[in-house]
Amino acid sequence: MAETMAVLLSRDIADGEKAIIGTNSDLQVAACNLARLRQAPRLWWVSGPGGMVNPTRDYLTSTADHDNIDTAEAWMDLPDMIEFIDWRIHFFDFAILSAVQVDRFGNINTTLVGDPNRPTLRGPGTVGLSALCGLSRRFNIVMASHTPHSFVSTVDFISGAGHLDGGDSREQRGLPAGGPRLLVSPLGVFDFHPQSRAMRIRSVHPGVTVGQIRDATGFELLAEGTPPATAMPTDEELLLLRSRVDRDGKLRKRVA
Amino acid sequence: MSGREAEVNVTKLVSLDQALDGLEDGMRVAVGGWIFNSQPMALVRGLLRKGLKSLDLVPAPGSIAPDLLIGAGAVRSTTCVFISFEQFGLAPHFRRHAEAGKIKVHDIDGPAFAAGLRAASCDLPFVPVPDLGTDLPRHAPEYYHELPVLPGERRLYAVPAIRPDVCLLHAQQADELGNVQFLGPPFFDVMLAQASRKVIVSVDRIVSSATLRRANHLTKLPRVMVDTVVELPYGAHPSASPSFYRSDEAHLRSYVKASRDPDAFRGYLQRYVEPAVNEAYLDAVGGSALGALNSSLGGRDTR
Repeated sequence: MAETMAVLLSRDIADGEKAIIGTNSDLQVAACNLARLRQAPRLWWVSGPGGMVNPTRDYLTSTADHDNIDTAEAWMDLPDMIEFIDWRIHFFDFAILSAVQVDRFGNINTTLVGDPNRPTLRGPGTVGLSALCGLSRRFNIVMASHTPHSFVSTVDFISGAGHLDGGDSREQRGLPAGGPRLLVSPLGVFDFHPQSRAMRIRSVHPGVTVGQIRDATGFELLAEGTPPATAMPTDEELLLLRSRVDRDGKLRKRVA
Repeated sequence: MSGREAEVNVTKLVSLDQALDGLEDGMRVAVGGWIFNSQPMALVRGLLRKGLKSLDLVPAPGSIAPDLLIGAGAVRSTTCVFISFEQFGLAPHFRRHAEAGKIKVHDIDGPAFAAGLRAASCDLPFVPVPDLGTDLPRHAPEYYHELPVLPGERRLYAVPAIRPDVCLLHAQQADELGNVQFLGPPFFDVMLAQASRKVIVSVDRIVSSATLRRANHLTKLPRVMVDTVVELPYGAHPSASPSFYRSDEAHLRSYVKASRDPDAFRGYLQRYVEPAVNEAYLDAVGGSALGALNSSLGGRDTR
């Protein structure tokens, strides 16, 4: 499933785009490096928290791993990196982010669940997520699990702004237009209604039913008609992924 | 002039105990490095052996350095930009102490962290950051003061200067005078040093000033910005010291495992934190385990 999610994300990357990837992001790295072998050879990506530019290997390591620093073509100074993200220049085309919780308007939470003083789950924190969600042209979300605890009506803490309260509330708040475009989970692919900005089912992974998705989601998902089945990875995509991106089969072995 | 001449010869190279002398309970302590890289671990272990309490941490995005300080009970509050064990999961003690309400967490984001440190190093009361639509200003109003703006302009927050009392860093090499070189990314370390009142740096090795001069572009912390340097080989272990050794994934995994159980964690502290000298720590880790970290591929985790 992790392989499938990486391939689905890689398809949304266009040639020449500039991307920023967060920490603990081997799946996101796989998506970028696969896209570069296929439709996006001129993709440029940087590790947001680490500043490494275009590290390429034929196997995957954690974003924070020393290998990624060693194999980067450039390394950007972190204080400058923060500024670089921070100005409203729309330098970046997209980010791919994961989260502890996501809500129906694509706001994401990596900070805490429950009462801030006695959280039931303390996450790692916000780091660059605020700027990536607030200032990139678009971002895509990858969720490792799809349950009513992770897909909630309203996140307990907005670490990264999605469409906020829906409609034009994001623009009203003074943030540049954009926000979340796609969400990939182990059950399906989702996007956001162009007016209400509420999450809707775009496609359903083979073997999964719309009913299963609704049961696993803590809010009412939109759907137009019967959502199609997700177009699964092709032989070519899988061959490239397994031979030139993730030679050790890290994603293949992962239990989603 | 004579005073300046005299200063040239002042060594800043001291022992670990001398370096940590003057640190007190309740201090605001910055911790450098980045996730599994350049965490000033030998300094952190030394600080724990001093038995300091009620520290207010200001960690750069980190892993085991803030987590061990929190787990050993030395911390009353921390700012949190990011404290993570990445592929090994959530930071075990940070998580447990925060969930139990035992430490106060000030959540800030990367832009606010950089702004607060920049304000301190520029001697400004605050540096502004734009509103990014998050809940951070609501939860940490002490770090985000809304600024007046003209109609139609985007919302701005003033981030007050973040000025740590002391800053613990690990770099690869320095000379006795305290010129510090990074043989890899310095992450937030230079900014932390500029913002902090006192700067303590551990290095894997001390080299001659002539050696530093041959590649002086690597000297990111000139000696005026450094109070003391300590030579602590493998001082970042189990995190990586760029160009010298990789992070020790097996050790990090065993730390996470030991952190699940109070007895096992006490055992971890006895084995790895209590040995009073760095050499004893390195013996506890083991020469072959350390040696494997030096190879560019030896530590590659293919599981």
